[in-house]
Amino acid sequence: MQDDSFEPKIFYALCAWCGSGGTETAGAFRLKYPENIRPFRVNCTGALDPVYILRALVEGADGVCISGCHPGDCHYDIGNFRARRRIAIMKEILNVFGIDGDRVWLRWVAHGEGKKLADTAYEFTEFIKKKGPNPLKRWDT
Amino acid sequence: MPLGLVYKDDVQVALKGFLVELMRDKRIQGVLVPSRMEKEGTYTYILTKEREGIEKSTPIAPIMPIQGARVLSKLTIKGALSRPVVAILRPCELRAAKELAKINQVHLESFLTVSFDCPGVYPLKNYRDEMEEIEKRFPEELKSFSLKNTRPLCKSCIYFTGDIADFEVQFANQKEVMIIARTEKAISILKELGKAQEVRGRSEEDISNIMENRKVNKDNFLKTFGSQVDTPDKILKVLSSCINCRNCRSVCPVCYCRECFFDSDALKTSPHLYIERAERKGGLRFLPDTLLFHLGRMNHMSLSCVSCGMCEDACPNMVPVGRLFSLVSERTRSIFGYVPGISVEPSPLLEYKTEELKEYEVPYHTARD
Repeated sequence: MQDDSFEPKIFYALCAWCGSGGTETAGAFRLKYPENIRPFRVNCTGALDPVYILRALVEGADGVCISGCHPGDCHYDIGNFRARRRIAIMKEILNVFGIDGDRVWLRWVAHGEGKKLADTAYEFTEFIKKKGPNPLKRWDT
Repeated sequence: MPLGLVYKDDVQVALKGFLVELMRDKRIQGVLVPSRMEKEGTYTYILTKEREGIEKSTPIAPIMPIQGARVLSKLTIKGALSRPVVAILRPCELRAAKELAKINQVHLESFLTVSFDCPGVYPLKNYRDEMEEIEKRFPEELKSFSLKNTRPLCKSCIYFTGDIADFEVQFANQKEVMIIARTEKAISILKELGKAQEVRGRSEEDISNIMENRKVNKDNFLKTFGSQVDTPDKILKVLSSCINCRNCRSVCPVCYCRECFFDSDALKTSPHLYIERAERKGGLRFLPDTLLFHLGRMNHMSLSCVSCGMCEDACPNMVPVGRLFSLVSERTRSIFGYVPGISVEPSPLLEYKTEELKEYEVPYHTARD
């Protein structure tokens, strides 16, 4: 059942080169994205330690989305390949404990793909709204 | 047939005899072997080249208070030894050492490793409580290769033979003790000593009953324990007895970071942020970040977890940390088909493929209008 009053809080990690570039392009085209998104710029998706994502989830973020350069386009050559492995590992770990790895999304967004970025923000927000609040938003973590 | 040595004695005596034999080779500058500390009533590694030290040692100890990989790391993290040292290691200790060697925290070439069929170890707490009784029944149990009430993870360990060492010691289900040279280095040393003979070695059949038993235990463990922690409620209940002592981290052989994120300033936030967090979450557990610590550690090293159970043994409040990590590591390793210590390639965190793991990305099919 969908709770209409539920407004998810979403942590959106964007790499400095493509993901953040995507937001710029989106801005240039006057595209909007939902206000549930809190953009967070990291130098590279490969520089995003899993602990940051976990910390967001443990502190009550309802979802975490990560966008960076497409595979092969990384500004640092291999950062996004490493990120992909780390995120795969993290999703598996979250699934073991029923914390739900689907609350973490990985989708590549290039500098020019402003539309894709805005779409992702909408799509992810809708997805999390259907899922409901993060079960980790409790005091005893 | 492989080269090796055969002993008719009890395995402890045989191993000690073998160490004495090895020390005849002048290139070897010592042995690392578990020994009992009489006064304290515990076991620890001793680095010695004296015959007396070897005679007094207990190559196969009933407990594992120190993980051997940490001993090797301590010795060689700053560089190689000038001449090799013989190290007696359990299979899980050797696997952890191999993992550390991949990231230059152990210099494995400095050691001549000897590993054996491991029957498991008793938990430290049981040993403390029933020391005399355990000491009395251990030799018999070792002979029949059936230890009662070992660490939970030992019961489901399926990598319990020493075949990845330089010298493999086979004695489970055998009338004699066979020490087999598994590497070039080991063979050359045996030849030099002039003692090498062809050993028949045992077949997989010979230990199939032990293996079957362990496999059944492992399946049971994954299923039953897995279902005990599969929701946020359950896992938080399990972790509710964690007292934030970080013992599990400090005894872990493969926790490789020189400085831990959880000791860093990143987690020392200003006072008002705690108030904010407490308001946001309807309260804040103190000390905070228990779940974050465990999940974070799993992210960092579950791929290298050798399921030795040190963490669980070190936990003063009976949190089943070892089983949690083993369960998680089973899942994360299966993504890459990686077995720590046995796979020779570097940890999957250090490598990548350009085309892989598409199922973990979320595809973008249609643009919104």
